[in-house]
Amino acid sequence: MSLLQEVAVGEPDPIRTPRVSGSTLRVVVSKVVRAIITLAFVVVFNFFLFRMLPGDPIGLYTRGRNQDAEQIAQLRRDLNKPLWEQFITYISNPFDPGIDSTRFSRPVWELIGERIWPTILLLGTAIVLASIIGIWLGIRAGWKPGGRFDKVSTGTTLTLYSMPEFWLGMMLLIVFGVGAFGIPGFFPVGGISTPGVDTSSPAGWLNVLWHLVLPCTTLLLIYLADYALVMRASLIDERKQEYLMLARAKGLRDAMVRKKHAVPNALLPTITLIFLSLGFVVTGAITVETVYSWPGLGLLTYEALRGPDIPLLQAVFLVFSIAVVGANLIAELLYIVIDPRVRQ
Amino acid sequence: MIRRMIAAVAAATVALAPAAAITPAQAADPVVFTVGMLNDIDSLNPFTGILAESYEMFQLQYATLLSSSATDFTPAPGLAESWEESADGSTWTYKLRPDLVWSDGTPLTANDVVYTFNRILDGRYEQRNYGSYVRNITSVEATDDRTVVMTVAAPSPIMERLAVYILPEHVWSGVDAKAVKSFANEPEAGQTLVGSGPFLVTERRSGQFIRMVANDTYFNGRPAVDELVFRVYNNPDALGQALIKGEVDFASGLTADVFSTLEGKEGITTYAGGYSGFNELAFNMGAALTDGTPIGDGNPHMQDQQVRLAISHAIDRQQLVDRILDGYGTPGSTVIPPVYPTLHVDPGTQSYDPALANQILDDAGYAMGPDGVRVGPDGEPMRYRLFVRSDSDTSVRSGEFFKNYMAAVGIEAEIKPVDENALFEIIGRGEFDMFEWGWVVEPDPDYQLSTFTCGKRSYEDGGEIYADLSDSFFCDEEYDRLYSAQAVETDQTARAALVQQMQTIIYDQVAYVVTYYYDNLEAFRSDRFTGFVGQPEGTGSLLFQYGTHSYEAVEPISADDGGTDPTSSPSPGATTAAEEPAETAQSSSSTGLIIGLIVAALVIIGLVVLLVRMRSKSAADTKE
Repeated sequence: MSLLQEVAVGEPDPIRTPRVSGSTLRVVVSKVVRAIITLAFVVVFNFFLFRMLPGDPIGLYTRGRNQDAEQIAQLRRDLNKPLWEQFITYISNPFDPGIDSTRFSRPVWELIGERIWPTILLLGTAIVLASIIGIWLGIRAGWKPGGRFDKVSTGTTLTLYSMPEFWLGMMLLIVFGVGAFGIPGFFPVGGISTPGVDTSSPAGWLNVLWHLVLPCTTLLLIYLADYALVMRASLIDERKQEYLMLARAKGLRDAMVRKKHAVPNALLPTITLIFLSLGFVVTGAITVETVYSWPGLGLLTYEALRGPDIPLLQAVFLVFSIAVVGANLIAELLYIVIDPRVRQ
Repeated sequence: MIRRMIAAVAAATVALAPAAAITPAQAADPVVFTVGMLNDIDSLNPFTGILAESYEMFQLQYATLLSSSATDFTPAPGLAESWEESADGSTWTYKLRPDLVWSDGTPLTANDVVYTFNRILDGRYEQRNYGSYVRNITSVEATDDRTVVMTVAAPSPIMERLAVYILPEHVWSGVDAKAVKSFANEPEAGQTLVGSGPFLVTERRSGQFIRMVANDTYFNGRPAVDELVFRVYNNPDALGQALIKGEVDFASGLTADVFSTLEGKEGITTYAGGYSGFNELAFNMGAALTDGTPIGDGNPHMQDQQVRLAISHAIDRQQLVDRILDGYGTPGSTVIPPVYPTLHVDPGTQSYDPALANQILDDAGYAMGPDGVRVGPDGEPMRYRLFVRSDSDTSVRSGEFFKNYMAAVGIEAEIKPVDENALFEIIGRGEFDMFEWGWVVEPDPDYQLSTFTCGKRSYEDGGEIYADLSDSFFCDEEYDRLYSAQAVETDQTARAALVQQMQTIIYDQVAYVVTYYYDNLEAFRSDRFTGFVGQPEGTGSLLFQYGTHSYEAVEPISADDGGTDPTSSPSPGATTAAEEPAETAQSSSSTGLIIGLIVAALVIIGLVVLLVRMRSKSAADTKE
């Protein structure tokens, strides 16, 4: 982007008002198409991945049941359709409500429907808070690198970042859940609500919120460093740019230079990072959901793996793939909005 | 400005806090007994669920014809007050208690029993969990409202152990053979499930909790607690913390390290109860199909009884208990654990004696080689594959101990860690020399004993070899004869004698080295609840038993009582800390709710203040 655009006071800010041109539309369409192709590949791959697993599916399905060898052999003869036939059944509707989990004997999509909301609530809150606070910290620290604020915040976030999620979660649980060092345990040790509380009432929502505090704080503290450090680094880069010198030369206040000129440009890599990280937060969620017994998708995956419950695993993998591909697509599309260079 | 607001909120907190503590003290609160467990149930449908946690719910919700006594697991009355076998052993007659009703008021009659059994007999899906109970039954009839007569193909002691949950026909007849496969059997809109056990499921949240209420119409009388809640904790440390905090009153299935941190904590009693499980080192005694066709690639040395005997003498079982179980268990001997005192036998001849082990091997022609590894009469070194389960920490650690024990007598064990699913198939194909695993044994020994019969070795189907129950490939004519005899012996004493003989054969032949019987580690808030009943009484587990003994007996300690009832001190295995009345724990949830409210308010106020501040600041910026 040219310096002139930045200087022209009163001109509509090109960052805020993107103009959709023919070329933009083409970029959007090509990105969406690419995402769809990726997804289609994942759906097909997903089918074969689980059929390549070693092991006898009937043996897994019947283990622990009160069935003798004869009954199992009968079942094996019933469920012996050739692979291509299985594939056609699967590909015609991977989201078929008739696909039952072998462990829970219930439709897999119903199970996922139950468990996806707690995960979205936990991860959503943690990521939104972490990105707001992380970006703010990064701006403060990056604007005066080496200053006292920078030293404290970078030191703190780096320390938190290097803590194992399980350990940090457990420490918070013991100190703020049970109570230690004279701090009373205000927050629950586990779960998403107190048994017997009606979660559809306002009191119930507060109960959920109260349960959310510790797991959300754990995730927040861990993700914080990522966002803060990237924001800091890119702002430090931006500080060296000549357009900032010009802005200062105009007599703008330091805060104004930071807010209107440096930050919007420095934000770009941070936003990319936030969306890219969306796909990977799932792993962190499994740990935190285990520590706080949070009934989300992470836990469902863990339960499915113990079976292993192949239909459920297959469905959960599909959900995760859609989440990752979706997050990437959103990041790319958002770039068109916030970075005029992509549109050109 | 901000500081002033925070001060105001803090003041409000202080003002509200006592109010929060007072409200729950009202007398009308139901008594809630909360159990924390480490696994969620897989289903509330008794035809679907297979986890131990699910069976706990089934037996609380639905009574069975007979139960197992708390004293020694002997058959005891359930829905049936009496039962008898006909003189020729061809029929069994069960007499139901008078005036039985379902929780919704509908009479519970012999027809419900007939309905349940016929449903299993006729249904392929229904047989998945109960197939072995009905295999021998040819017909089930109700001769009157209180009498059920079952005809059997052969006399069988299993007729006193029918762990079949009797279902209400007026509810389940609406669930047909197709619908039952994905029927969740969960309560809807606050309705409780219709049942006949001491507690009824009223709410289930997958991955979170199962809430039950006391059944007013239960035939043994309504339990003393009003509500029973099972909460799922996904790691043992969190469960231990939940007990300390008082979020749960009972913690089940603890790990040794968490258990020891709870020992001596105020208001908590830790209890290491005898359990019906054992772990073993198993040998490949000559893998074969049921018809005797050899399979796999097991080392032929393992077929020499003297080699297995030497290994048995080389293993220090007491050290394994001390080091692997932190002392919470007993050294093993035979495949029926001592929690079944009427069946268990310990010949006691295979003590830890490495010198004797060396002697046995020398005498059997396995001479020491130059590299410290013995060489067999066939010229092959004593070098064997030992599989351990990579998903179990105790298994991996046991493997290291075994390796050292065997090295001390000139045997080299090559440790191979694989996951349980893979190991299951490796065993089925006979491609191993030794492995470490374990079993949990039911009160009826039939299933456990069947795993050593020739007929339970692997089988072939469509060109593939599949595992059946046998994992040692033990096959002995005399043993099989005794197995058939005990299967039709309905006299409990005569059967016990046969079962003991069979255990001795397995022990003498060293099909397994039973390493230890592990304890079930439980802990509970003895400042709040008392009256637990162990099974077997005095030494066994307090919950997750065969029957609902503790749930029916557990009662709250009244506020003025202040400590446990000395008469109900649970067992010699229990350690109790000095007990003092704990702070009103039931109030914690509502106090917490109010604190949650305050925190939420604080956060919102903080955000608003921050926003306003940013606004005014940026306005100031633009003015300049």
